[in-house]
Amino acid sequence: MTLHDDIDTYLAADLHNELSADEQNKLHAHLVECATCRKLHQETKSMNNILEENLAAEKADPTFEQRMLASFRNRIPQRSGGLTKLIFDLMRLRSAQVTAVAAVLLGLVQVGRMVTGEGAAPARKLGYRDEHHFADRQLNAPFQRSADHSSAQASQLAAGRADALIASEENSFASAPAAPMTQGEKDKIIATEDRREFATKMAKAASAEAALAAQAKPAETPAVVANRKLIRNANVELEIASFDDVVQKITAFASEDGGFIATTSSNKQANGKLRGAVVVKILPENLDRFLQKIRGLGELKNQTLGTEDITKAYFDTDARLKNARVMEQRLIDMLKTKTGKVSDLLQVEKELGRVREDIEKMQGELKFWDSQVQFATVTISLAEKDMEEPAAFLLKERAQLALYAPDVEKVYNDIKALASPKTQITNAQLDRDNTGRVSARLSILIAPEESDAQIARVKTMGRVDNFQVQTERVAQGGTGMSQNARTKRDKVELNITISREEQEQAFQQTSLRIRTSAVDQKSKELRTLTEKQNGRVRSSTFSRDPDGREFANVSLRVPMKNYPALMESLNALGKVENVSVQRQDRTGAQIDEANAPADLSIQVYSQGNIVSHQSGLLATLRRTIAQSAGAIMWSLRMIGVAIAFLAPWVIALVALILIAKRVAQARRQR
Amino acid sequence: MMDANEREIYRAAIHGDRDAFEMIIRTHSRTLFAIAYGILQNREEAEDAVQDALVKAWKSRWRVRNPEKFPAWLCMIARHRARDVFRKRPRVSQTDLEGVAAATPTIYAPDVANTSASLDRQLHSALAELPDLHRSALMLRYFEEMDYASIEKLLGISNGALRGILGRALASLRKQLRPALASLE
Repeated sequence: MTLHDDIDTYLAADLHNELSADEQNKLHAHLVECATCRKLHQETKSMNNILEENLAAEKADPTFEQRMLASFRNRIPQRSGGLTKLIFDLMRLRSAQVTAVAAVLLGLVQVGRMVTGEGAAPARKLGYRDEHHFADRQLNAPFQRSADHSSAQASQLAAGRADALIASEENSFASAPAAPMTQGEKDKIIATEDRREFATKMAKAASAEAALAAQAKPAETPAVVANRKLIRNANVELEIASFDDVVQKITAFASEDGGFIATTSSNKQANGKLRGAVVVKILPENLDRFLQKIRGLGELKNQTLGTEDITKAYFDTDARLKNARVMEQRLIDMLKTKTGKVSDLLQVEKELGRVREDIEKMQGELKFWDSQVQFATVTISLAEKDMEEPAAFLLKERAQLALYAPDVEKVYNDIKALASPKTQITNAQLDRDNTGRVSARLSILIAPEESDAQIARVKTMGRVDNFQVQTERVAQGGTGMSQNARTKRDKVELNITISREEQEQAFQQTSLRIRTSAVDQKSKELRTLTEKQNGRVRSSTFSRDPDGREFANVSLRVPMKNYPALMESLNALGKVENVSVQRQDRTGAQIDEANAPADLSIQVYSQGNIVSHQSGLLATLRRTIAQSAGAIMWSLRMIGVAIAFLAPWVIALVALILIAKRVAQARRQR
Repeated sequence: MMDANEREIYRAAIHGDRDAFEMIIRTHSRTLFAIAYGILQNREEAEDAVQDALVKAWKSRWRVRNPEKFPAWLCMIARHRARDVFRKRPRVSQTDLEGVAAATPTIYAPDVANTSASLDRQLHSALAELPDLHRSALMLRYFEEMDYASIEKLLGISNGALRGILGRALASLRKQLRPALASLE
């Protein structure tokens, strides 16, 4: 593009002084040559002038900035800004932005998970419930069947107990087709629970029916028994007050109902209670009456009734027996005729023996069945009440003893020396840590008869800080309470802890000051006094300060019983000041107060001699100058004060004199 | 580029230093006014637009990452604000304005047209014909006498493009006002 084509740009830039020197030269050269551009140059110049003139009028006025500021302040009120500034700064940080985005994403994910998780849970529940319903429906069919079954049973057992029914029903349910359905374990359990519930309901109904049947039956039963062979037996479990009484009563009942006692057995428990079993044979037709009577003897725990129908087997055996008899007769006839070979006869003899054996076996079987059918068997298990009552109690004693002793090791060895067959040391431990603190722990088992004596002996070995005895009664061979159980003392377990006296906290703390002139000597005296009172100095310090004052800090410990005597003797050392006593009363603790330690911290001090150690000539001079300078300053201040007091009066006086002079002058002139 | 002191002021303002921001208001509100006036061609409206722009800038100052871009960003806000005001202006239809512009020469006598008032009116209608970027550039140049580089930086124009813009703007004005110019001479 040539300069001529782009003349507008060059002209504007020229007017605005934005052309480089080179460009300027070129433009001017062109303007010399080109008339059109010259004209444009002229026009642009005047245009520029117009703009400069006109737009200058439109410029913002001088107060513009002030207005802007004022409106800004108005619209954005000054705030404390601490928090907002922080937030702004945070928003500017890239890491903060990234964190915020991450947090939002994480939150979204969590929300999503929650939503989907909650969505899934009810769905699962729903499915499960459906299955459950399905199971119920499936179960109904066997229930119907078993209901029929149980009512049949109820009519069969005249006075049957519900428990027995439940048991048998539960068995039948276990093999019901519904049980092995393709469901989870849980479903199965629920199903069995449902069944159980159903069974109890059914059992109630059945027992009601049974009660009805019991009223109707007695007349019918003998007829049934007449042509059927039924073996009846019953198991009864009773809880009773006294075994022997009940056995007597059972004997009486049995003979009343045409029965007898087959066997009795009993054994005695450790706590003197009897447990046993009685087997009674009773006529089947009287069985129900007999059971009713027995129930009155004690608390019925359990009862089962069983009936076995052996009619078919019995008559089979009977027929076979008859056949065998015929066979026997025929063989006997054969032998009587005695025709044939000897070997044949031997064969017949052998056969006869076998047949007779069979006959005897079958006769025995029939006899056994007859006896079984003739008498029903009732097994009565008897247990006296409170079988669980404990037979004996064991008193376990556990003692904790904490001792303070000046020499832990010695006491430790003394206690160890107590060992004997009746005093056994089960555990002994002596600890010494790197700061020289010694403590020991011992566990001892002491035979009950020696325990008190041994504990008392151990107690004398040191100062007892703490003694606890814990007794526990442990029931043996049962639980609960018993009035006639024996009580036995077990071995006493004694745990001993021994600590050094130093570690013991003082029972009483006293601090005081003694003023004296000879600190060193008096503190030595204090030491001997302490030893006289059976105490010990635990620490002592001595110091002298620049003014020549001396201090000795002595802390010592005495037994409480010697404390008053020591306090008394302190008066001999000097003037006792600032006594403060702090006592720690441990409420409820039984403590050996006479031997409890009392701590004293004593400061022995002297009034320093006032003479300073700075006694040279220069020092004296300096002090003198300092003092005199102080005195001058003081007097200056006083003078100032005096002037302040007097000045107004002086001024007033001078003024008065001046006025008086003027007045006098004026009079004279007149 | 930018001297450290100035840069520090911008940085402080971005971080919420009110004093620094007020300092920027003192130094920059005139250029903002020039830009807004370039778009709106009305002093009151331009002033309001500048005020709004400043408030907006204070509230969203944290968006600026590079302190050196702060002035350009301020100008951008002012420009947007001015355009918003322009758009929301109760519409005086274009024909009406033209009608007024066309009517004036006939109402006033030719010698009256020579007066500065007439020239002023013609100048404004000629300015109204220009794109607003051109007007803003003109205002920055004639109000504040800024050099081309600064104007380019403030208006976000690429290096060297301003020459062309101003050249074309002046040429366009010159053509529009040629009769008036001729009579002036």
